[in-house]
Amino acid sequence: MGSTIPALIAAADRGDGSAAEALFRALYDELHRLAQRELAQRGAGASLGVTTLLHEAYLDMAERSGPSFPDEARFLGYAARVMRGLIIDHVRSGQASKRGGQFEITALDTKVADNAGNEKELTQISEALDELAKVDPALAELVDLKFFCGFSFVELAAMRGVSERTVQRQWEKARIYLHRSLRSESAV
Amino acid sequence: MRGMQADRWQLVSKYLDQALALPLNERATWLQSLGNENPSLADELRALLDEHRALADQHFLEDSPVSPASQATPAGQTIGAYRLLSPLGEGGMGTVWLAARSDGRFEGRAAVKFLNISILHHGETRFKREGSILSRLAHPHIARLLDAGVSPAGQPYLVLEHVDGEPIDAYCDRHRFSVEERIRLSLDVMLAVAHAHANLIVHRDIKPSNVLVDTGGQVKLLDFGIAKLLEEEGPDGAATMLTLEGEWALTPACAAPEQLTGGAVTTATDVYALGVLMYLLLSGQHPVGARIRSPADLVTAIVRAEPPLMSQAVAHVSKEAQADTSTAANRATSPDKLRRVLQGDLDTIVAKALKKDPKERYTSVTSLAEDFRRYLAQEPISARPDSIAYRSAKFVRRNRIPVALAGLALAAILAGVVGTSIQARRARTQRDFALRQLSRAEAINDLNRFILVQAAPSGKPFTVKELLARAERVVGRQRGGDQVNRAELLISIGRHYMSFEEDNRGRRILTEAYNFSRQLSDKSIRAKASCALGSALVSTDEAPRAEKLIEEGLSELPSEPQFALDRIFCLSCGSYVARERGAPAEAIARIQAAQRLLKESSFQSETLELSQLMELAESYRIAGLHREASATFEKAWKRLSALGRDDTEQAGTLLNNWGVSLSQIGRPIEAERILRRAIEISRADEAEKDVSPMLLINYSRALRDIGRLDQAAEYAERGFAKAQQVGHDVVVRQALLLMQSTYRGQGDLARAESTLSEVEPRLRRALPPGHIAFASLTSERSLLAQARGDLPSALELANQAVGLTEAAIKAGKQGADFLSTALVRRADLLLQLDRPTEAAADASRGLAMLQEGAPLKTLSSSIGRAQLALGRALTVLGKRKEAALALRSAVENFEDALGAEHPETRNAQRLAAVGGS
Repeated sequence: MGSTIPALIAAADRGDGSAAEALFRALYDELHRLAQRELAQRGAGASLGVTTLLHEAYLDMAERSGPSFPDEARFLGYAARVMRGLIIDHVRSGQASKRGGQFEITALDTKVADNAGNEKELTQISEALDELAKVDPALAELVDLKFFCGFSFVELAAMRGVSERTVQRQWEKARIYLHRSLRSESAV
Repeated sequence: MRGMQADRWQLVSKYLDQALALPLNERATWLQSLGNENPSLADELRALLDEHRALADQHFLEDSPVSPASQATPAGQTIGAYRLLSPLGEGGMGTVWLAARSDGRFEGRAAVKFLNISILHHGETRFKREGSILSRLAHPHIARLLDAGVSPAGQPYLVLEHVDGEPIDAYCDRHRFSVEERIRLSLDVMLAVAHAHANLIVHRDIKPSNVLVDTGGQVKLLDFGIAKLLEEEGPDGAATMLTLEGEWALTPACAAPEQLTGGAVTTATDVYALGVLMYLLLSGQHPVGARIRSPADLVTAIVRAEPPLMSQAVAHVSKEAQADTSTAANRATSPDKLRRVLQGDLDTIVAKALKKDPKERYTSVTSLAEDFRRYLAQEPISARPDSIAYRSAKFVRRNRIPVALAGLALAAILAGVVGTSIQARRARTQRDFALRQLSRAEAINDLNRFILVQAAPSGKPFTVKELLARAERVVGRQRGGDQVNRAELLISIGRHYMSFEEDNRGRRILTEAYNFSRQLSDKSIRAKASCALGSALVSTDEAPRAEKLIEEGLSELPSEPQFALDRIFCLSCGSYVARERGAPAEAIARIQAAQRLLKESSFQSETLELSQLMELAESYRIAGLHREASATFEKAWKRLSALGRDDTEQAGTLLNNWGVSLSQIGRPIEAERILRRAIEISRADEAEKDVSPMLLINYSRALRDIGRLDQAAEYAERGFAKAQQVGHDVVVRQALLLMQSTYRGQGDLARAESTLSEVEPRLRRALPPGHIAFASLTSERSLLAQARGDLPSALELANQAVGLTEAAIKAGKQGADFLSTALVRRADLLLQLDRPTEAAADASRGLAMLQEGAPLKTLSSSIGRAQLALGRALTVLGKRKEAALALRSAVENFEDALGAEHPETRNAQRLAAVGGS
């Protein structure tokens, strides 16, 4: 399975829609599996930060696939979107929360009181992001990376090869867009 | 309607980019002029921007540990004595607001920085207290911290003097400041930092974005001491850095090596940061290079790589000459001229500020500024440029483990003489030091991003031990990436554990490294893994395998020069293995081969040469070639002194081993002098009670040999007590033997007897039967019997001693250098028993052995004794002339080796004068 992911990425890069979907599913499975494994290793009550999970996943897959595996930045471009889905699913089942700026996945069902509200908002954000992705995919990816995956401005700037200020501005723009979307959503 | 239509967003997005890039006060104007062209667009944008400002209060999509209900400080609200006006943006730590004093007192604007961290209750007081200390830091070039507090919602904030300016590097570039102008501007920065240091405040996060130049062209430093504010005292009193949302609490790019390895942060840390700043301002580049992609790469580079000289950095900027030209243009010059200006003094100054070791940097910011000032005034600067040897040695970290450290303790049990190179307690200090070296040089690589990234979130600065343990875990878990690197890392970790006597752990890791390396094809790493494991196994019951591993490693390496260093490494390991196996000739051959290789290679390393000399000297000593050993020790000592390291731990080790060697060749006067120095060195940084018991024993022996028996007994007893304390059995035995011999010398035979009787059971427990130590013990018993007057028993024991020694030699074990002693002692006894012929035979045999292979004019007490015994025997046998010769030779030897006052010398002189009867 590991060897098809690079091929799927290459196809998705070329704009192959069905490859993109297949990639999404494959990555989702992979990340989910890895998360479960990591959590099992860490024992009861442990939590797993999302950035850690992503790094681990990358190393894991890269090692299995060999040199053909794309670099981390490209990998993250796809994985970040997948992560969004994974997190929302976990939030839904009470197995994720935002702590100290990062989403963390837990093994236990934490059933945080206001999770229902969180889940609703996150779903709305997700839908808004999907819309945004149609017109400004880079911006949507930024939100995935920053908000869902917990990367810092410094890291994002390094990943994209721009200054921190640029990333911050992009982020502000994204917030404006999403806020407007959510507001009009609730207005409807 | 959900969201915006695609094309609308495209348009709006572009304008938003522009708007957001403008400072707040300019936006209104901009919107206005847009409104003149396109009113509906302007309206839409205005609405969006207003929403955006409101968002800041709601923390929409923001990370805030404060729950939505109790948070928020919308514009207009008052925080402390300040009224918030509008958001300025987001810093690395939290939102920053423009504020004005609500009572109108302070005319300028302030910046209120909210920190996205949580402060525990006791921390709140401290936060405020520290804040008030910092607020007293008043300097024209330091942006004042006006206040610090905690908002009603529980969020900490800082109130800072608002500086409207741009970062110093951008400012200088924009104005195309020359190198000289940049230096002048920076001197103000340095004065500011020096002022703070004088007030005992360290900045810790000096970087271009914290050094602003305001509209008046004045420099202002921001965020002074903020890092200190964020420290939290842990339960054990150690300060920890609060982490902010899992990010680094400081900027890695400008961090000093010690900040990244958990070392102490001092004023020298600020010196380093200023070095980075100057490097950037003057050369346009960052000292750790442009190709750094990940945080971990960056950390590796900072901690490990020596930055290139600025003049070299500008010469190799990029493939495009364009970049070079623009860098130079920003400095109002051409690329060539820039390089020439930077070369020389400026290179030297900045390099000194950027030294990895804080102790090697400028001791204060003032002295750094002084050297810059001198440069501007065209006066000679104080910093010395690095010598070539220094720089090239620094570049090679891989083979830098000094052999004295990694060579492990050697405890050769010869006839009453033991040398050792590491003292247990010292080893612990050395271990910590070397672990720090390790963490710097070896443990951090690409694959260890987890170590560092995860160290921050837990809020604890990682200690070196943790780093090592983490490195082990990560390397264990990691399956991807550079395999060779991983093996390299394992080997390094393993060797370090070994050198700190954590043998089991070290062996386990080296075994893993070896097994792992079998899967790799890289010859260098395969060989290294084999040899490293070999040297670790030699002191276990897998010793035979050790030699095989060495041979395997050596045969793996091709003879090309690029493998020279690996070969040298293997030969060093091999020499050690041979020594431990009791094959001293092989040990010598191997280390000599290593020396030749080093000489032939273009690689220069005084440290490595020195280590090799010490290894060689040890090999000679173990081989019983004490003269060669002594000569080599002397050579090594000269080198050590030339390197200015003659009062270090390594020097102490060297002197100890050298002293032992000199004792063995019967030159106790020199031995005493050298061992005394060794004691002084080891006493230098610790109390007397921490001097190694081994060293005390060796010194005691030298004292005994020169006849200072009372002192000898004293030192022996001290060494004994300490050795018992530490549980160092070898030394305990040696101490006992020595004590009994001093008691015997003092005439206290009963005491000598009882002391001696303690030794045998210990020896039996520890050593195999044929070991030379038993011969030595028997010989001592013989001497004691002789002193008691029981000559028949004494002779029987003396015969046994000789027999045991000969057997040991025959079995290929150590003992060759004891035989002469045993023979001469027996000769002495035989003389007393009136058997001069046999005495003469023993004495001449002993003498022959001592003189064999020695330079002609060698003088020693051992030779003296042999000559004396021979002379006396010959006198009794009536061979006057030969007797006289021998006796005169005895006198000559004793005078030189023991001094004219020594009882043995006197005795010999008397006999020689009287003609031997």
